[in-house]
Amino acid sequence: MEREKPGVLPQMTWTDEELVARSVAGDQDSFNQLIVRWERPIYALAYRVLGRDEDARDVCQETFLRAFRALPGFKGQAKFSSWLYRIALNLCRDWIRRQKRTPVVSAPEGIDIIEMAAEQGPVESIEDLVARKQLSATVAEAMEKLPDEQRTAIILKEFHGLTFQEIADLQNCPLSTVKTRLYQGLSVLRRDLQAQGMMSTRPAGKAS
Amino acid sequence: MSELFTCDDKAQLVAYLYDEIDLLTRQRVDEHLRVCPACAREVAELTGVRQELATWLPPDADLGFTVVPAAERAVAPAVLRPARWWQAQALPPWAQAAAAVLVFAAGLSIANVQIRYGAEGVVVTTGWMTPASQAPARAAEATVTPASGPAAADADWRPALAALESTLRQEIAAQRPALAAAEEADAASPRATGLTTARVADLIAESERRQRQELALRLTQFGRDLEVQRRTDLVRINQGFGQFEGRAGAEIARQRQMLDYIMRVSAPPPQ
Repeated sequence: MEREKPGVLPQMTWTDEELVARSVAGDQDSFNQLIVRWERPIYALAYRVLGRDEDARDVCQETFLRAFRALPGFKGQAKFSSWLYRIALNLCRDWIRRQKRTPVVSAPEGIDIIEMAAEQGPVESIEDLVARKQLSATVAEAMEKLPDEQRTAIILKEFHGLTFQEIADLQNCPLSTVKTRLYQGLSVLRRDLQAQGMMSTRPAGKAS
Repeated sequence: MSELFTCDDKAQLVAYLYDEIDLLTRQRVDEHLRVCPACAREVAELTGVRQELATWLPPDADLGFTVVPAAERAVAPAVLRPARWWQAQALPPWAQAAAAVLVFAAGLSIANVQIRYGAEGVVVTTGWMTPASQAPARAAEATVTPASGPAAADADWRPALAALESTLRQEIAAQRPALAAAEEADAASPRATGLTTARVADLIAESERRQRQELALRLTQFGRDLEVQRRTDLVRINQGFGQFEGRAGAEIARQRQMLDYIMRVSAPPPQ
């Protein structure tokens, strides 16, 4: 899995914590180096959670703005990246709430979302399905159907490589809950993608 | 931790899937997968899902956020977005005024507003009104005009023109025999040369007189055309004035919205 890696400048040798310390001391260039290092992962996180480039840009900008203002209060109780992720995720949650948008369409009880997905339209041709862009769009659509907690857990694990414990800290839930969310989310994705013909094998049975 | 991995232990399965598991537990899961086709298949398919997830890439956005020192801004430091230049910083007042003038001029050009000053005062026409040069032909059939209006004025000069043309043809026909006799006399006698010269001078003078008459006639016709056009413009302006007022109001509202938008996007980003 290709993870969102922080940007690196050739001459950069400072650790995040060192750059934070220099930033707190008033060196804004150090904070700009932190931005260069982390703007891409934060943008990618916001994009996958919100699903819109423009919203993701705004959240990314606001994340660093808030981090800059709150930097004097950052005592290193967590990794700087985890602190940034927390700010970004909170902003994403507020953004969704403020925009009154619901990126996740929860299926009513008794409705099989896999069957709904299969009824959405004709199956694309094999040529279209093998196109990378189409694959990406299909995966994005499947992810949008997941509950917010499952989707965020998968994003943080798959694309940002956070540990179970780090995700648990960000989501304010027990570690076992993170594993359950990951398993349930991956299982729903498996059935959804199989229903759209994107995976060669059929499900072995009810996974959850 | 249990001694053996069971099919229901999905938490351990996820830990195995993400390789966030100790070595001993991994070995136990491996042993179970060798003897449990259902779990082995589930692990394989979940691994396939992870591979599909790898295709979900965000757009290659041009970010480039940076913190601007407080000395370079009138307000506290802020994270800016250079890629979106219209939100990068507030425009100075002269630039905002220039933008407003530019938008207003663009609106005028789009609306094709024409302002003329004539005997009737200031006349304003817009792009949705028929140009004045096309107006007369349709105005005669679409408008009710007084007896002395364009239709009557158009009718009374045609007989005069026909009469003039008839007179000129008669004069030319009457002069042809005289011209032929002069040519014969000229060939017969050298004395006739002076008479021929005088006759040619008379013909030239007559031709000039006819040209002056035709010029006067054309000028008269042109003046009447202008009068017809003027009257038609007046009628159409009167008819379209109410429509113009409504559309002009809508145009002003649209331009005002555009100006508001410019002021809004030119404002400094929220702190």
